[in-house]
Amino acid sequence: MANILTQNDIQHIDYKDVDLLKQFVNPHGRVMSRKRTDLTAKQQRAVEAAVKRARFMGLLPYIQK
Amino acid sequence: MNAVANTSDNEVVLRIYEVGYHIVPTVVEENVEKAVGDIRSAIEKAGGSFIAEGAPAMTRLAYEMESQVGDKRSYFDKAYFGWIKYEAPVASVAALEEFLKANTSILRHIIFVTVREETRAKIKAPTLREVKRTDTIKSTPRRPEETSAPLSEVDLDKALLDITE
Repeated sequence: MANILTQNDIQHIDYKDVDLLKQFVNPHGRVMSRKRTDLTAKQQRAVEAAVKRARFMGLLPYIQK
Repeated sequence: MNAVANTSDNEVVLRIYEVGYHIVPTVVEENVEKAVGDIRSAIEKAGGSFIAEGAPAMTRLAYEMESQVGDKRSYFDKAYFGWIKYEAPVASVAALEEFLKANTSILRHIIFVTVREETRAKIKAPTLREVKRTDTIKSTPRRPEETSAPLSEVDLDKALLDITE
């Protein structure tokens, strides 16, 4: 998986962009590791924060069975 | 208060915030705008100025959310989700937080520091997944139909004779 954010020139991660965030969580709803996302450390932190906000607001699940 | 006095101690620090909220689905559609108006007036009262806004829309929640009003506990699996981006003094956030917490028509809310620029991604996710096509099938022009004059019985017989002989 190549770095989606750099490829598409995405500077900011928004917690409301659920479809984008879904690219970074596995089918169980867990955030993928940097090994799999291929993001920079800064981007990975931003994605993690956005996923957590989206979960709190019920836009993404905490867990998916 | 003049500009000189407005330094260090009592300097008003402005920051960009975004508030996201869920309005309970029991609120009738006509009254949703009123609930948003309440949030807007609370921000304005705290000295905030609006930057961008997303109108509340009915959203299916990823999990059931609980809300307790008095002794009554209710669960919701959908809500009107909206957001407002605004600039306001740092000290005003606590007041807005209190207001949102006390408001019974608000199921859940979030306030966080953000940037002035648009943060939504421009591209749609499906385009990310789109399969790259290596080649396209070229349409070959159809062979123009051979036009022939209507054959007569005599010509046909002649042609047959030519073949058989």
